[in-house]
Order: sequence, then C-alpha cells, then structure tokens
Amino acid sequence: MTTTLAFDTIGYLFIASSVVALYRVLWGPTVPDRLLGLNVASAQILAILVLYAAKEKLHVYLDVALVYDIFGFVGILALTKFLEKRQRRGGSV
Amino acid sequence: MRVRSKWKLVRILFTTVWLYGGWLLYTGSFETVSLCLGALASLLVATATYNLFIAEHEAARKGLLVRIHYGILYLLYLLAQMYLSSFAVLINILRGNINPRVVHFRTRLHSDLARVLLATSITLTPGTIALELQEDHLIVHWLDAKTRHSKYAGILIKGKMETLLSRVLL
Amino acid sequence: MIEGIVYLFLLLAAIFNLMGLVGILLFPDPYTRLQASSTCSTTAVISVFIAVMLEAGFSAITGKVLVITLFFFISSPVGAHIIARYAWNMGIVPWRKLRKSSLEDLPHD
Repeated sequence: MTTTLAFDTIGYLFIASSVVALYRVLWGPTVPDRLLGLNVASAQILAILVLYAAKEKLHVYLDVALVYDIFGFVGILALTKFLEKRQRRGGSV
Repeated sequence: MRVRSKWKLVRILFTTVWLYGGWLLYTGSFETVSLCLGALASLLVATATYNLFIAEHEAARKGLLVRIHYGILYLLYLLAQMYLSSFAVLINILRGNINPRVVHFRTRLHSDLARVLLATSITLTPGTIALELQEDHLIVHWLDAKTRHSKYAGILIKGKMETLLSRVLL
Repeated sequence: MIEGIVYLFLLLAAIFNLMGLVGILLFPDPYTRLQASSTCSTTAVISVFIAVMLEAGFSAITGKVLVITLFFFISSPVGAHIIARYAWNMGIVPWRKLRKSSLEDLPHD
C-alpha cells in the first residue's frame, strides 16, 4: 500500500505537537498543569512509536510502545502519590 | 477449609486464562515453544498475583462472569460516544464558549468494578471528568453544563451507560 | 476502499490533535484543560491506532496494536481521573463564567 507518506506526515505532526505540549510542562502555572502536559506528550510519543512500527514493519517498536504506555501510567500515579504525601506532611507545593 | 482452597484454585485458573489470552494476542505466533513458554509463564505470574486480580471476599465472585456480547456492544457504544463527544468539545473549543460546573449525583450500580468502569466511561465521554468516587457518590466536572439539578444532571451524563453496564456484569 | 478509510482516520487524528492542542493552550484552568486533553487527544491517538490496524490487515501487528489500544483505552481516562482528583484534593477552585448566564433561570434544588 502507499500510505507511507501519510504515516510520515502524521508522525511529524505528532512530533511537533508533543513539543508544543511541553509548553505546559515548563510554564504551567500549577502542578496539575505540568502533569497534564506530561500525560499528553507521552500519549503522542506512543502514537509516534506505533506509526513508525507500522511503517517499517518492525515488531520491536510495538513491544517498546506497550512498555512505554505502562510506564507512563505508573509514572503519573507515582508522581501524584508522592506529591500528595508531601503536601499532607505540610510541605509547600 | 475445602471451599476456601477450591476458591483459591478457581482464582488462580481464571487469572491464568486471562494472562494466556493476552500472551496469545500479543505474540501472535502459534509455534510449540512459544505456546508452552506462554502457559508456563502465565501460570507462574498467576500464582504470584492472583490475590491482586480477584479479591478473596464473596462479592468478587460476581466480577468473574461477564456477558461477552454485551461487553463488545458496550465497547462499540463507548467508541461511538467518544467520537461524538470529541466533536462536541471541538465545537466548544472553536466557539470559545464554555460554561463549566461541578455537579454531584449518585449511581445505582453495586459492585466496585462496575462503579470504576462507570467513572472511567464518564471521564472518556461527553465533556465530563469524574473528580471523586466515594461509595455510590460521584463528583463530576462538566465542561458545558446544561442544568444544576443533580438528578437531571445524572440522567444527562450517565445516559444509557449505566443500564448497559448493569447488563454487562452479572 | 480500505485505503480511503485509513486516510479518513488519519485526517480525523490530525484535526483532533490540533484542536486538543488549541484547547490545552487556551483554556483558563486545569480542569478545562484536562477536558480538552482527555477527549480530543485520546481520540486522536485511538484514531491513529485504528488506522494502523486497518492498514496492517490480519497479521501479527494487528494483535499487538489491539492489546496496546485496549490498554490505552483504560490507562488514558484513569490517568486523567488521577490528575483531576489530585487537583480537586489540592483545593484548586474550578473556573466559572462571570457573566450572568441563562443557567440562573433553570430550575435547581
């Protein structure tokens, strides 16, 4: 099939948009904003991995994508747990 | 004692079947080595983690059996709802006209699994996010609120999902 | 035929992705930004997965992408819910429209 060019275009679009999402990580006014930016960027990098694997027919990238998804989720969970605990102890956020 | 050990065996078997299904779907190869390795690995993981997947108390027994055809119907319904609600949010973003509110309502689902699934579906569909779930009480942030009455808000947000969910889980 | 559907889903992914980014950049408070990210960006990523599955046909790639899609279907809204719950417990007050809206004449308890 000749969908390679379309996959390439969407891949570059996702790369650009994940860079834009990092704006929220760097300049987000509150902590949830920063977490949200991380969540969006990780979802888009997941999509880039799947697109690249489908384009090149490389199965290894799909394994990487699954593990990346799991670790992104666990990372968000661990970060919020850590911040909540620190806040409950009376530290500043 | 005998009932308890039997229940433990059932739990281990059930976890093994789920893990093995995931293995078959993910590897996608039907060679003998791969099949045997997958069975061994899923049995090992199941004996270590069955307590996390299925809790020991009585109510967990209800969560085991799922009506498969209603489950697939629910997934398709959720996918369609997701696209529709994304279009609604897209129009809201383009017009720049939002009216966010926080509403409270109750659900009449009983099991924990069904409530968690309901909260997840609410987060995924029409411009709403579940903020907190305590017992049967839900706090929801609504992007384009149409009413403040808690009962009407519950009917509008939950829609058909609650009745479908009560059919999915026995 | 199938190629057309693949192109349609990729187009949907591009539109939703751009609009989700606009929402994330322009909305006034964390909850509304979370709305934009949890609906539009998730829909964009799932559209990409559906397009890849249709393009690959019946093969090993489809099975793997199906597992990833199912996991993403669970992990994305739960992640959004975790962040929203953290913001709610932190005590961030949701943004409200200041102008008197038509909501005031609706019945409420």
